[in-house]
Amino acid sequence: MIDAIARLNQNGAMSTSSPRPAQTSVLIVEDEPELLHRFSEAVLADEGLTLTAAVSNGASAIAVLGATAPDVVLLDLGLPDVHGIEVIRKVALHHPDCDVLVVTMFGDDEHVFAALEAGATGYLLKDAGHDRIAASIHELRAGGAPITPSIARRVLARLRTTSPARGEPVGQSAAAPVLTPREIELLKLTAKGLSFDNVGELLGISSHTVVAHVKKIYRKLAVHSRGEAVYEATQLGLL
Amino acid sequence: MIWRLLCGVVAAGVAAMLLWLTTDPVPASGAVVKIERALVLESSARALPLSGADWQPTSLPTSRRAASNESPRATWFRMQFDLAGPPDSSWAVMLPYLYGGGQVWLGREMLGDVPVSSASVHVRWERPHLLVVPPRLLHSGANELWVQAMPVDGQAVLNFPAPRVGPLADLQVQHDRRYFWVHTMPELTVGACLGVAVFVLLIWWRLPEEVVYGWFGLATTLWGIRTLTFVMEAVPLDRWQWWRLAYLASTGGFIVVMALFAGRLAGLHSRWVERGLLAYWVVGPIWFLLMGLDSDAQINRLWTAGLIPIGIGTVLVSFISVRRQRTLTSLWLPMALAVATLSGVHDYMVVWKPEQLERYIPAWAGERYFLLHYGADFLLAAMGVLLSARFVRSVQALRELNESLESRIAGSERELAGNFKRLAELERQNAASEERKLIMREIHDGLGSKLFTSLSRVERGAMDAAQMAASLRACISDMRLALEALSPDVDDLLTAFGDFMFRWQAELQAVSVRCDWSIDVAGDTLRMAPHATLQVLRVAQEGLTNVAKHANASRVELSLSERDGQVRLRIADDGVGNFAGTSSGGRGLRNMLERARQLAGTLTIEQGDVRGTVVTLSLPLDAAPDTHATDPRQTPGRDAPQA
Repeated sequence: MIDAIARLNQNGAMSTSSPRPAQTSVLIVEDEPELLHRFSEAVLADEGLTLTAAVSNGASAIAVLGATAPDVVLLDLGLPDVHGIEVIRKVALHHPDCDVLVVTMFGDDEHVFAALEAGATGYLLKDAGHDRIAASIHELRAGGAPITPSIARRVLARLRTTSPARGEPVGQSAAAPVLTPREIELLKLTAKGLSFDNVGELLGISSHTVVAHVKKIYRKLAVHSRGEAVYEATQLGLL
Repeated sequence: MIWRLLCGVVAAGVAAMLLWLTTDPVPASGAVVKIERALVLESSARALPLSGADWQPTSLPTSRRAASNESPRATWFRMQFDLAGPPDSSWAVMLPYLYGGGQVWLGREMLGDVPVSSASVHVRWERPHLLVVPPRLLHSGANELWVQAMPVDGQAVLNFPAPRVGPLADLQVQHDRRYFWVHTMPELTVGACLGVAVFVLLIWWRLPEEVVYGWFGLATTLWGIRTLTFVMEAVPLDRWQWWRLAYLASTGGFIVVMALFAGRLAGLHSRWVERGLLAYWVVGPIWFLLMGLDSDAQINRLWTAGLIPIGIGTVLVSFISVRRQRTLTSLWLPMALAVATLSGVHDYMVVWKPEQLERYIPAWAGERYFLLHYGADFLLAAMGVLLSARFVRSVQALRELNESLESRIAGSERELAGNFKRLAELERQNAASEERKLIMREIHDGLGSKLFTSLSRVERGAMDAAQMAASLRACISDMRLALEALSPDVDDLLTAFGDFMFRWQAELQAVSVRCDWSIDVAGDTLRMAPHATLQVLRVAQEGLTNVAKHANASRVELSLSERDGQVRLRIADDGVGNFAGTSSGGRGLRNMLERARQLAGTLTIEQGDVRGTVVTLSLPLDAAPDTHATDPRQTPGRDAPQA
């Protein structure tokens, strides 16, 4: 999957002729020194990336985010002080244009999904190589997002079982389904294990468009989840 | 309990009220004259005898005994009563009894002629007689009443009552009351006894082990027959003997059966005593049959008298059983028996020792009321109550038994269900722990041994950084595979296989191997235990690793299919076909064969049609309760063109 995105990025970079924005600023939040060093090296080694800051705890990250607005936050969820989800919420609230890339172990889809719900749009495996790290960041900025069959299943379960009467987010028209039929089809095919290439072929779109759809789906997921949280809080009399 | 008692008291009160409503008040006019003196003359002349004959004075009522070995003869009774003036309403003469019939005259006119025994009919009138006196026959001063009383055939005594003279209205009441007690009451007894007897004997027929029902039915039958002989007052002479026989047999039988019933109820049944009693019962009727009508009086005097000690013995036995049982209901039978026996003694005295009775209760003795009718009715009612109580008790006992049985069955069922649940739970836990063991062994044998080998090689300096990284990546890959197979919400081989292929497509693409895969399964899911899924994926991983590293292949095709409970995984590449040639390939082959064996399946490795290698794993889909869980839908592998 990672390789697929890498390949896609290469392809995408070749196919899209839009000029790359000058620099992509990156904030790295990682408490493991070895990984912090590795990520920092990868960012510094890439011409298109600049390192805004590399911090090892949530409080520092929130402080940096208060002072500046990076383009991408490379975030480890398991921080010693605050939960990574809190940092994601802060970013989503103050810097809606900023992409959050969650650093994760494999098989940790539950946490990845929680991060996506909070507003993250990508994730990166801890064992990813140097070029994979930089490529993932560029991919995210170019409008694509990674996905696995397991996450596709979770997204489908989350956005399809929500009943309109109860769970319709505040501010959205009550009858509108959250996902379009095409998005549902895309998620279903992915859930079965098909690669982006295969999904794109079946849907008659490019694999670049496939990953762009995925990012859009993540945005909907976050909005929907936030709306639902607000809705539930209203129901409980908290807001 | 108190509530029921109250209901009983109220019911008894209502019954007494009804009884009181039906009885006529005794007229208190005092105009009725009871004649207690008479002149007697033995004469069978049908006409009024001359006043000059040899009349003897006597007091009334009287029992006139004939000389020994002779029957009494027809006797005229001549009585006087005084009137202050001629009455203004109809008067009447009432004779409480006139067993043999006869004539009644007032002055010189006959008032009535009660039929007497003749050559064709035998009479024995139990009823009282009421004769209306026209007012013209009565006059101030002394009036004369003449009655000719005929004896009853076969009886040694002629009984004559104290006649009553008075206003018809008053005497009618007295007559009706006596008529009810001596005639209507026996009629009712006959009907009730025979009805109850049929009912009880039917019960006994269906429940032969309940002997007391049989005795009770027999007792009521006998008593009904005995009473019938009193209700039938005039019978043809040729049948009279049979009526007497029926009377004797039923009277003796009733008393003997009562004795047996009481003995059984008391729990005493000595076979010889019972046989003796039955023999005594049989003796009377046989004696009568042998000796004929003439013996009637003797049998009555001797054999019937012998029944009295039997009755008294019965009372004693029943009182003893009360002492033993000490319950209130057990007191019923002896009380009733005592009452019946006393009434029997009374009747015997009335017939055979009237003078003894007259000494103590003169007014009552001459009325000749026979109390055994009522005493026996009371006794039968008491027996009926006892048997009903016994019946109710047995029904209740049966119901309680049923209820306790049902509750015990329900308890056993609950226990069984509980056991079954526990067993199922144990089995589930057992299966879960078995599964855990298999998975732990997987991790130990796979990841564990890889890590230890790498550690050993690193420590002796036989591994450079690149080899080390490759080894660790292999470990991580192994772990990823395990996580794919053991994902807690998926027991489905298709889902795990999809995850696996999603990852491997990217990896194969990285080494420029084109990968096509397909799934051919009827249904959306393929249930398989996690450890089995892990083994299948390991075989697939081993095969793909070999393709990526050693086969020098440009493309690989995977297909997963299921037919008739057999799962088949086929991996075909277009490489050099030296699968087992390399050292790692050889080890990989051994691993794959071992895994297939653990799954009770088979693994084959063949040369491809043109070039390359075909690895095929086949295994049975055992533990699959619902292989095809949902409606069959298109699976991606069948229709999707694979890039």
